[in-house]
Amino acid sequence: MKKGLYTRIALENVKKNGRLYWPRILAEAGLLGCFYILITLAMDGRLSEALGGAYLPTFMWMGAAVLGLLSLILLLYVNSFLMKRRRSEYGLYNVLGMEKRHIAKVLFAESLIASLASVALGLCFGVLFYKLSSLLICRLLRSEIVAGFYYLNAVTLLIPAAAFLALDLFTYFVNRIAILRMKPVELLSAKKAGEREPKTRWPLLVLGVLSLGAGYGIALTVKSPLQAIFLFFAAVILVIVGTYCVFVTGTTFVLQSLKKRKQYYYHKKHMPAVAGLLFRMKQNAVGLASIAILATGVLVMISTTVSLYSGVQDTMETNYPRQLYLSAYRQEGEEITHIPSGKLEELVREAAAENGVAVREVESERLLTVSYLLRGGRLLTKTEAEGGYDTSELCSVMFITEDTYAELQSKRVTAEDPALSRAPEGLGLDKDEIAFCRVASAAMDLGFMPERLTFHGNTYRVKENLTYFPIGSNMSTVVNVLGIVVADDDVLNDVYLAQKEAYGEFASEFSDRIGVSFADEEAVSAVGEQVSQAIVNKLQAVGTGTLQYDLDTKWESLHNVLEMYGTFLFLGILLGFVCLFSTILIIYYKQISEGYEDRERFQIMEKVGMDAREVRKTIGSQLVLQFFLPLATAAVHTAVAFPILLKLLKILMLTNTSLFIICTLVTLAVFALVYTAVYVLTAKTYYKIVH
Amino acid sequence: MEILKVNDLKKTYTSRLGGAQVQALKGVTFTVEAGEYVAIMGESGSGKTTLLNILAALDQPTGGCVELEGKRLDAVKENELAAFRRENLGFVFQEFNLLDTFTLKDNILLPLVLGGKSVSEMQTRLMQTAGPLGIAEILNKYPYEVSGGQKQRAAAARALITNPKLILADEPTGALDSRSSAELLRVFSQMNRNGQTILMVTHSADAASHAGRVLFIRDGVVFHQLYRGDSTNEELYKKIADTLTMLRTGR
Repeated sequence: MKKGLYTRIALENVKKNGRLYWPRILAEAGLLGCFYILITLAMDGRLSEALGGAYLPTFMWMGAAVLGLLSLILLLYVNSFLMKRRRSEYGLYNVLGMEKRHIAKVLFAESLIASLASVALGLCFGVLFYKLSSLLICRLLRSEIVAGFYYLNAVTLLIPAAAFLALDLFTYFVNRIAILRMKPVELLSAKKAGEREPKTRWPLLVLGVLSLGAGYGIALTVKSPLQAIFLFFAAVILVIVGTYCVFVTGTTFVLQSLKKRKQYYYHKKHMPAVAGLLFRMKQNAVGLASIAILATGVLVMISTTVSLYSGVQDTMETNYPRQLYLSAYRQEGEEITHIPSGKLEELVREAAAENGVAVREVESERLLTVSYLLRGGRLLTKTEAEGGYDTSELCSVMFITEDTYAELQSKRVTAEDPALSRAPEGLGLDKDEIAFCRVASAAMDLGFMPERLTFHGNTYRVKENLTYFPIGSNMSTVVNVLGIVVADDDVLNDVYLAQKEAYGEFASEFSDRIGVSFADEEAVSAVGEQVSQAIVNKLQAVGTGTLQYDLDTKWESLHNVLEMYGTFLFLGILLGFVCLFSTILIIYYKQISEGYEDRERFQIMEKVGMDAREVRKTIGSQLVLQFFLPLATAAVHTAVAFPILLKLLKILMLTNTSLFIICTLVTLAVFALVYTAVYVLTAKTYYKIVH
Repeated sequence: MEILKVNDLKKTYTSRLGGAQVQALKGVTFTVEAGEYVAIMGESGSGKTTLLNILAALDQPTGGCVELEGKRLDAVKENELAAFRRENLGFVFQEFNLLDTFTLKDNILLPLVLGGKSVSEMQTRLMQTAGPLGIAEILNKYPYEVSGGQKQRAAAARALITNPKLILADEPTGALDSRSSAELLRVFSQMNRNGQTILMVTHSADAASHAGRVLFIRDGVVFHQLYRGDSTNEELYKKIADTLTMLRTGR
């Protein structure tokens, strides 16, 4: 045979089967484009330099890995549809006298054409949309826009191209093996292979229900954010397994029971639909389950990242009542010298003045923060705990003296509402008395108000239950945080020494910390970097020994958080978009392949005396069910995932529940809208094929 | 009583490319009496299938008309056609046209289900129909689990179950081996003896030799017809064979 023949046949085939090939080519191009964008964002040095962030490349690489995996699954899935349709054609070639190796050549040429088209198109997409993506990233990170974003680099072009060509080659070999193995008669008639009526597979159904139940159980009962981190992944896996099993077997089970109810089944509205679905489900349960899971992915990704991002300001306000926190000490050998808060205050005021911003207020606090396990009325060090512990027992305890408390409290009253200004009544604590405050009970339902509390072998009477503790904590969203006011420095020192003994080198140190509020927050943010630098410079000049300091400013933190959440959001949008895209693709191929299969069936029904309207109705009811099932499942999954997602978001410092609810609902609504639109369009193609 | 009256039926197709006109039927006229068993024979391209499609109201003629029990088919409204077909006509196809998603039982019941009959009525009619056809034992099987002959008998049961005025059979033995063919033709004769009117299109002389009357169609017109009279199947077969030879040689 002539050499050009295979290529000609292949080209003709791809053109003729455009309805099948185009979506595949476009899908691969789209995936490759996104892949290119992620990789280029990760490798574009100018960008990470401009954003000054370390998160960006890491997250982009992670995103690229996830996307690569998704592409592999999706393209193999699409390929299986394609091959099912094409098989009889290859069989015909065989019958007409082509040997299998010739068919393999045609197949190779077809794969190559489709593959090259996808890669070329995908790279074009990628390069074109890269600029848009980098602009979006800059905007999300509230960063200066880097000029000249057309970034072309051989490496970032080659990696995606090579990855997807390899993927296509793999697909080709899968197909080649399948075709070489088949006999010509099988190739010709593979489409019509007799289908057995599906039976309910009980073990699988039980497994599915158990797995789904376990996943839901975890999501609903998880107590602390730390637990949520550990268990989230397990819950996701369980729910995915459960969804697949229940879709595959549960639908059959329901339809079988419907079929057994004779009065219901033998009705013109029900019989064709139920019997059709029963067979349909066998082939498509996996597809529907995939749609449900992808849809859940879209909902979860977009709603969490959007609410994180839009909650940034909120989060910052909760965690930074003041704009700057500073503590520092000098270390010479074993000797630690705290730089007194008065000195720190002086430095900050000087630095502020140099940069033309005014300090409104400074507070100082001597604080000891120790972590314990709260069990009954006892605070145990981790070394005292027998038989391990549950993360929900973890709590971080802040100790201050009554003097510090009184000082902070008086400032609060004057600062917040001068009209309420009055000298706070002293707590009047004895040495064996404390005041106790639940600053945050992230995990534990702290229904109790302890009368006594024991730590380090001493029992203290709880004289006062405080509703407000004057010091905030950035741990408050992750673990339980308690505040304890002790009588005086002696008691505080005892606690310090006791925990030092228990924890050794992991023990906590006192912090003499000052919190500074500036008069004009925006002004100070603008010169934030200079202010920080000036403070550090001044600190270097104070005292001798190694300088250790902790300078925590709202503006730097905001920058970091923005970079992280902005990157999350970008990934969420991109991957959410890819999932949506995949969902659309799966629906499309499902409709098409079902359309071809159903055509014959409906033609028979029309011959037997079903009119076209009834056929349309039957088709409609089958479609609607297949349409709503995955969407409803996705909505339920998302609703159940809600509590565990809230806990995870707490770790990322988002505590605004209503914001998250709104984001989720909006995402769901938008998704349902897009999904419906896609469905209507593909249903049209389906009707066209059937008629 | 005349049950079917076909009067000067014409059908002209315009080919999609070039617009060339093809006359499939050039004026077919015949009638079928109630209780008759008529076979229509003809070569491929003689217009048999076109005729059958028009009789089944699946296609419209370009001239002439068809009356079923005095009612003109072209007077039936478009949206009543499906119901009209279901209630008046029964179909047996060469390729069986059984739905692979239904058991034989459900396939047979489908016209009744579409007609909105009650479950108890379905049950009675099913037993009345399936019993004589010898498929009562395999009703719960799926089409792919039974032989071609059994499939075709199930298809015949589906055609019979509505008590149609006329059964239209399109090459019913075309996909069957000789034993199954013989069995099916026996079933058809049995049905006919019970009073069922049958119109069968075939190009098997053997199948046609079971009918009471054989019409020959060539080039879109009824060319000739044979009556059984007192002949046996074998004698009729011989006459058919002679006619076919004559048709072919043109003398």
